[in-house]
Amino acid sequence: MFETVATTTGLIIGFFCGLLPLGLGIKYQQIKPGIIGFVACLLSGFACGMWGGVPMIILSTSVVVSYIYVNRQDPFTSRQSLDEVDFEESTQEYIVRQMASLGRTIRAMSRGLLRNKGGFIGFLGIMFFVVMTVFGPLVIEYEGDIQMDRRQPGATTLLQPPSWEYPLGLDWWGRDIVSHIVYGGQNLIITSIQAGVMSTLIAVTLGSLAALLGGLVDQLISALSNFILTIPQFPLLLVLASILEFDNSFMLAVLLAVLSWPALMRAVRAQVLSLKERDYVEAAITLDLGLYHIIMREIFPNMISYIAINFIFAVRAAMYAIVGLVLLGMSPLTEPDWGIMIWNSRTQGAFYSAKGITWALAPIVAIALFQLSLILFTRSLEEIFNPRLRKGL
Amino acid sequence: MSQQPLVELHGVYRSFEKERVRIPVLQDIHLNVYPNEVLCLVGESGCGKTTTGKIIASLLDASEGEVLYNGRRMAEYDRKERSLIRRQMQLVHQDPFASLNPAHTIGQILGYPLKRHKMVNGRAELRRRIWELLTLVDLTPPGDIVNKFPHQLSGGQRQRVSIARALTVNPKLIVADEAVSMVDVSIRIGILKMLHNLRDMFNLAIVFITHDLALAKYFAWEGRIAVMYLGRIVEIGRTQDIIANPAHPYTRALLSAVPEADPNLTRKKQPIPLRSDEIPRLTAIPPGCAFHPRCPFYQPGVCDVSVPRLAQAPGYAQDTACIPLTTGEQLVPYGT
Ligand SMILES: Nc1ncnc2c1ncn2[C@@H]1O[C@H](COP(=O)(O)OP(=O)(O)OP(=O)(O)O)[C@@H](O)[C@H]1O
Ligand SMILES: [Mg+2]
Repeated sequence: MFETVATTTGLIIGFFCGLLPLGLGIKYQQIKPGIIGFVACLLSGFACGMWGGVPMIILSTSVVVSYIYVNRQDPFTSRQSLDEVDFEESTQEYIVRQMASLGRTIRAMSRGLLRNKGGFIGFLGIMFFVVMTVFGPLVIEYEGDIQMDRRQPGATTLLQPPSWEYPLGLDWWGRDIVSHIVYGGQNLIITSIQAGVMSTLIAVTLGSLAALLGGLVDQLISALSNFILTIPQFPLLLVLASILEFDNSFMLAVLLAVLSWPALMRAVRAQVLSLKERDYVEAAITLDLGLYHIIMREIFPNMISYIAINFIFAVRAAMYAIVGLVLLGMSPLTEPDWGIMIWNSRTQGAFYSAKGITWALAPIVAIALFQLSLILFTRSLEEIFNPRLRKGL
Repeated sequence: MSQQPLVELHGVYRSFEKERVRIPVLQDIHLNVYPNEVLCLVGESGCGKTTTGKIIASLLDASEGEVLYNGRRMAEYDRKERSLIRRQMQLVHQDPFASLNPAHTIGQILGYPLKRHKMVNGRAELRRRIWELLTLVDLTPPGDIVNKFPHQLSGGQRQRVSIARALTVNPKLIVADEAVSMVDVSIRIGILKMLHNLRDMFNLAIVFITHDLALAKYFAWEGRIAVMYLGRIVEIGRTQDIIANPAHPYTRALLSAVPEADPNLTRKKQPIPLRSDEIPRLTAIPPGCAFHPRCPFYQPGVCDVSVPRLAQAPGYAQDTACIPLTTGEQLVPYGT
């Protein structure tokens, strides 16, 4: 899936994807959005290959179209009487109109992102870590083996404090700590996100079902969630982790998700219960728009920011749990990994040596900064998904 | 009126369960809604107007009693017919800020029901129909509205969108629940007039819910009024009969508080003071006539013993639920 990650092929894909928004922007004299669209395509193509470039074409072109699109030929603006207006619209016009409205939404979302300073800083923080894990490996080589040759004359260990050559110093085996920080986030972040996604999916599905169906289903789901909530989470996780002895991180994510959905499920259930009493839902019932429409079109869009915020919280919780497991030596993760760095530095006594202080602190600071970015970012989510900040065409 | 009523309520009771306490909200409601009529439900806050309106619109079930739509119970219809019947009765909510989904544009709000029920063929017709609907509710030019989100419109405009949305499915009856009470006074009349026009145009029946008897008098002058008190209908009949000659003491009290356009008339009006301003709670409804603790014409031993039923009183054209009146007695002020 990610063969083209950060390769020349990805860059080429991104370049060609970016030509469309750029060309449109130049043709219709919307240079700025055109260039931004081009850069966005280039970067996302570079980062994720086809998986980044193709969606980004649609998004960035929509934004450019939304700048170009002025309502001129829309029959709705006409002040003529009904019979004189032509309501026909070709498929092409229809697509352009839809893209323009998508572009509007994206612009409103980015405005929402920029509005809250704290949230934007959080977003930048997250982007920093994403860029570091995706592009960092291009410039920094990973050092997995012991580096005996770095031993300094007269020194008893390979441990070194920061220097110009090694900004964060060397660890017990003489390996560059910067390289471990750069490579060590990937697995941890991906596993946490997997756990967060699964936990959110379970919670949203069960929570909506419980709220909408009520009765026995509601009681069963609530009983199950209460059961899981009453067991102390971390000890249970420990016990399960040692019993299952899994060897891949995906299984760990599944386990974390299975243990962490109840709290979010309750929140979603309460939210759906309140949303389904809204007047517009009642109107949808008298208009007989159907259950699917009511869930997906009336209730869900008003819950997205709530779900997104809780998704972030789930990711955070999963990350803490994983690091906790690593520290207790019970995680399937392997080097390079921030959690394992903490474990190694502790077992090698870096906490007691002035030379090893960066080795011990670097992964802790990295985890803390990532968590802080997530928390700050949740402040913006509310504004990004708030439909009340949107303007129509 | 010998027409087949659109909706009939026969001895309908409705109660809600709140913290394991049963709250009786509606009791023994008898009410018919006929095609193309205007029926006003009037009463104080909490007397069960909205609940009645929702039962009429088939959004709520009756706890007891029978509700007939076009002469048959809902359960007698099959799935398809039920969907059709439900669509025949639309509700316009009180709060225009809560009744439109903030996530949809006006075009989407009107488009969903049109598409869902295949009321239009193809995009051109859909656009044409939305244009038509927006023009019908005086939101012109439609282009200024159709791509906007509800939060970009004023309260009055939203209420018009809400009415247009009800019209998408060609209803036979619209329940307007305090439809103008949250709208600026200056645009109320416009919306009320529009409702009247729509009624004529589409042969609609309108159940208009309000706590304001003056508004009911204005809106339902050609129609009927049902006055509700604590979950019961205490007086029902043609608006002109009730306004000219109110029977029930509660209606008289309400009417005496309505200002007249002519200040001389207002000054001449004798306010009818109630014996108490306190509305009893629904969990402790007084025995007999629920109004007796406040009634200025209370007759001990009569009013607090048995529950009055709606019947025509001698000398009145409308039906009223007051034992002294229906047995042909004169009302005498309490304590004289
Ligand atoms: N779903 C419900 N659950 C519990 N109680 C309810 C429910 N719906 C209504 N009630 C109660 O029923 C009573 C009557 O409510 P209803 O909304 O019908 O009154 P109303 O005449 O429309 O009043 P208002 O003028 O305030 O709108 C109120 O006391 C309310 O608390
Ligand atoms: Mg009400």
